[in-house]
Amino acid sequence: MCEANIFFNRGGKEELFMEKVDRIVPGEEDNLFLESIFGERRVVKARIREMELVRHRIVLEEINEETSSKENEIWLELDTDHGHFHEGEEVRLKLFKGYNMRPDKDSDLSNVKAFLLENGERKEIAIIEHHGEMELVLGQEFTGLIPVFVQENNEKELCGKMLVEVGHHHHHEVAPIGLPLEIVPCGFGHARLGESYEIQVLRQGKALGGIEVKATYSGSKNKNYPYKLTTNEEGKASLFLTARGNYLFSVSDDNITSTFTLVKSF
Amino acid sequence: MCRDMPPLEQAIQFHGHICPGILMGVRAAEFALKHLEVDPDIDEQLIAVVETDSCGVDAIQVILGCTFGKGNLIHKDYGKAVYTIGSREKNRAVRIAQKFGATASPNRDRFRELKMKKNLNEEEKAEMEGLLGDIFEQIMSMPFEDLFKWEDVPFDFPARARIYPTIQCEGCGEGVMEPRAKKTEQGMLCPSCQIEFGGVANV
Repeated sequence: MCEANIFFNRGGKEELFMEKVDRIVPGEEDNLFLESIFGERRVVKARIREMELVRHRIVLEEINEETSSKENEIWLELDTDHGHFHEGEEVRLKLFKGYNMRPDKDSDLSNVKAFLLENGERKEIAIIEHHGEMELVLGQEFTGLIPVFVQENNEKELCGKMLVEVGHHHHHEVAPIGLPLEIVPCGFGHARLGESYEIQVLRQGKALGGIEVKATYSGSKNKNYPYKLTTNEEGKASLFLTARGNYLFSVSDDNITSTFTLVKSF
Repeated sequence: MCRDMPPLEQAIQFHGHICPGILMGVRAAEFALKHLEVDPDIDEQLIAVVETDSCGVDAIQVILGCTFGKGNLIHKDYGKAVYTIGSREKNRAVRIAQKFGATASPNRDRFRELKMKKNLNEEEKAEMEGLLGDIFEQIMSMPFEDLFKWEDVPFDFPARARIYPTIQCEGCGEGVMEPRAKKTEQGMLCPSCQIEFGGVANV
């Protein structure tokens, strides 16, 4: 017989994971596809630590995807689950630092500055603490599609951008706002579940091809970004939207990490 | 909501979660509207005969407006993902049947395996979420003819749902639709009281 039992080495102890595996296929991103003689199939993110085929035994080691505290990002979310604000309504946004839309509650946001663009002019917005969270309060006078962004310049430069819709039906092309590394939606229609959404990455205003763009969505159970896209020569990449929550796109180049929060229409 | 919600979102909101079944139902319902060149039902212009009681039927109800409450959703318990949609105005009907094995894939097998499992660990929950995303894209992107077969069929349209008077059951005192009540030694009884008194329910 040529099948083997698969064990995981966890904290020095071996735990049986799968019995009588006769097929192991390495996949992308450290995945291993396992298939047993009973037809059971599993995909795990692991590396082979030991193979002892005489004893029909293979030991795997999990590849830890836990968030590294150095992989920080900043991003914005709406303080409403309605997808947009109505005219006359107070526009409030939430500011987070963390990774993969998972806020790090101990993070320091004191060096983050927030801005909006109004008629091409950059205006600073105060960041205030509200019920233990950091918020940007834009007020009630805005209407239309407002580009809002946050920046932090420490050892690493962090940027986060969002387009805030106040009122209805603001369909038009969206101009870049001039971040050193920026994710720009290719046309601002209503992003909807079951449709593809295209973004473009710009570095100093120029299309950045061949760069990895990570994407996640609120409420994802994945410890790491579930989607990793690569931009084409025009700096563009598309994602088919399959989750109900809002999405976050993130890109890093040199010492800059920049995010874009995509607010879905529903 | 202050915007028209797309049919896919409506179906998912009504059903409560995203699953392959509701997505297949969305594809079938949207096809029926286009094929029959009709709008969603308002008052029994459309009739749906569904041969399953699984997830996809919720999409039929929401997108086509053929609902249990309106009486234009007829369930035949055949255990088949087959939907026959008829339009009174167009006097035509289409039978839409899911192709056997249309969405079969190792991803689908693994998703079903995890779905059947009672207690998923965090890794398995994340894996299931990823698999569902892949299946979602597959179902919504595949050509319709790869998912379903369809044919125009003759359709014997049932009469529109009737509204009957409600009478008071002499057993429990609750209201009951008149044709469901039965005269017994205890008086006019509703089906549950008919059973309570040892009879056979008039249903």
